[in-house]
Amino acid sequence: MADTVARLAGTARARAAAPARRRRASWQDRLAGVIMTGPALLVFIAMFIIPMLLAVVLSFTDWNGYSLRFDFIGFENYADAFKNPRTVDAAVFTSIIAVIGTVLCNGIGLAVASLIAGNSRGNTVLRTVFFYPYIISALIIGFLWSAMLAPQGAVNSLLAQFGMAPLPFLTDMTFAKASVILTIVWSHFGFNMILYLAGIKSVPTEYYEAATVDGASRWQQFRNVTLPLIAPVLTVNLVLTLVGLLKAYDIVLALTDGGPAASTQTIVYQILKDSFAQARLGFGAAQSVVLLIVTAAIGLAVTFARRGADRKASES
Amino acid sequence: MTISTQTTSPNIAAEMLLTEPAELPRRRFGRRPRRGGPAAARTPLAVSIVKWVLLGALALVMLVPLYILVISAFKPQADIILHPLAITPDMFTFEYLGNAITSEKFNVVGAYGITLLFVLLVNVFCIALSAPVAYVIARGRTKWHVVLLVVFVSGLFIPGQVTLIPVVFVLRVLGLINTIPGFLLFETAATLPVTIFLFAAYLRTVPRDIDEAAALDGAGRIRAFWSCIFPIMRPVVATIVVLNSIGVWNDFVSPQIILGPGSGIYTVTTGVYAAVGEFSTDYTVLFPTLLLAIAPAVVFFIIMQRHIIGGLVAGATKG
Repeated sequence: MADTVARLAGTARARAAAPARRRRASWQDRLAGVIMTGPALLVFIAMFIIPMLLAVVLSFTDWNGYSLRFDFIGFENYADAFKNPRTVDAAVFTSIIAVIGTVLCNGIGLAVASLIAGNSRGNTVLRTVFFYPYIISALIIGFLWSAMLAPQGAVNSLLAQFGMAPLPFLTDMTFAKASVILTIVWSHFGFNMILYLAGIKSVPTEYYEAATVDGASRWQQFRNVTLPLIAPVLTVNLVLTLVGLLKAYDIVLALTDGGPAASTQTIVYQILKDSFAQARLGFGAAQSVVLLIVTAAIGLAVTFARRGADRKASES
Repeated sequence: MTISTQTTSPNIAAEMLLTEPAELPRRRFGRRPRRGGPAAARTPLAVSIVKWVLLGALALVMLVPLYILVISAFKPQADIILHPLAITPDMFTFEYLGNAITSEKFNVVGAYGITLLFVLLVNVFCIALSAPVAYVIARGRTKWHVVLLVVFVSGLFIPGQVTLIPVVFVLRVLGLINTIPGFLLFETAATLPVTIFLFAAYLRTVPRDIDEAAALDGAGRIRAFWSCIFPIMRPVVATIVVLNSIGVWNDFVSPQIILGPGSGIYTVTTGVYAAVGEFSTDYTVLFPTLLLAIAPAVVFFIIMQRHIIGGLVAGATKG
């Protein structure tokens, strides 16, 4: 009997040993997995997850940014954000930038992309010419155009040589708003163009050949072949531009510094000014949380609205 | 930079965008109208002329500001204002560029050095942190790996400006505000979502046989990754290096806030802001400073054009 027990125990031990060996190997694997993911996860938690949660917490406080002490003041910051005319004006102007900027960047980007899709030498040079501002810091673009559009700047100087009166590009509220939007479009549409080019080039040539055989005009080819097939690229472009322009800040800071009379302040300009210049980080955090929700909602809404077109493109 | 030795294109999109042989079918199609046939009637000379006039005008709008920026860096104030487009030998001078280089307010050499150092370190940290995680995610089969990916990728939808305020709080608690480690920590974290996403997508296409071969040779998982898998990732690493380098070089808000004026550390962008901000009507300061600030970026762009465009396309369409 003792024999049997020993044998059973032995088999049990043997049975246990086999998985144990495997488990030990996988335990080492798991340790390796933890070592490989741990540091990145820690950095991510410290700089993304905790700040995200903190943004919500701080938005209910009067934290000034310097001390580590603050009081909870309930929804006061949010109430202030929606009542404060400066914040409301900034939100309205930011929306105008996002909508008009997105339409212009994508309209010009797509039009230019379809005009220079061929691979001639000239087209390659033009692509570089249209794209290059994108790799220059937005702050520097802003300073460059602030010098060009100033009352004595190059543009007005050229207008004078043609006998025209100087225009108040940066000193009149409406002109300044247009200047901000056009400067953003100037520096950004090349990026949209590059994405559209990548999309247009992924359309199989046979489709165009078939369309030509059917007697479709260039416009009909663009409308009925290119456009439906690059639907996913269009979606990516719309989301990236909308979400990107909602964060417009550097260009505004350098071009108009929010002026004249605070007419070109954007929401991020407002957030950073309230947070740091005015030492109201709680208020800034509340506006950040609102911006985050709006950004996420717009991103999801556009992606959702374009789902049908995207699916059709991937089916064909 | 390590990537300057890269000869392979970062991805197919870049190839398609800029290499000619890949476009032969399309080129042939493009030529067909010129050879006659039905399409030729639809692109008459007039339309072609209108197209090139429009593109030419747009090209002028793009190039003239750059031209003015460059020539104005070598002209006195009065000539900049009176003759914005002209540059003649009698107005040409290196004086203002020299002043900008030796400016007390904006130490260009220092700013180049610091910014390059940041670009380099963020790239190294970003790749060292992201590549192993992406590998674990790409090879993992449990739901936890999916969760891990979703957590990291959710970072793509969080704009940096939104987290900046609480990040200041976190860094203050850690005692890292106004320090280079604090800035590097934030800037590296900001690159993680895109990097992990692109790396994981790329690693899914790398066959598992390589892992198994390495394991048979007795390499541990970590060693197997760094010595066998990582070298294969060169193209996607090049993409990420391009994205990070442009991002860090041009970033203004994060260094401005995290490395506040109290720290005395200026990157190219915060240095330009400090030097030009108050004097933006003194063009003899403005233009030379801007020229100095964009020169490295433009040179980098001209040399690395294909990688930059390809990298941006990959980053945008896959992310």
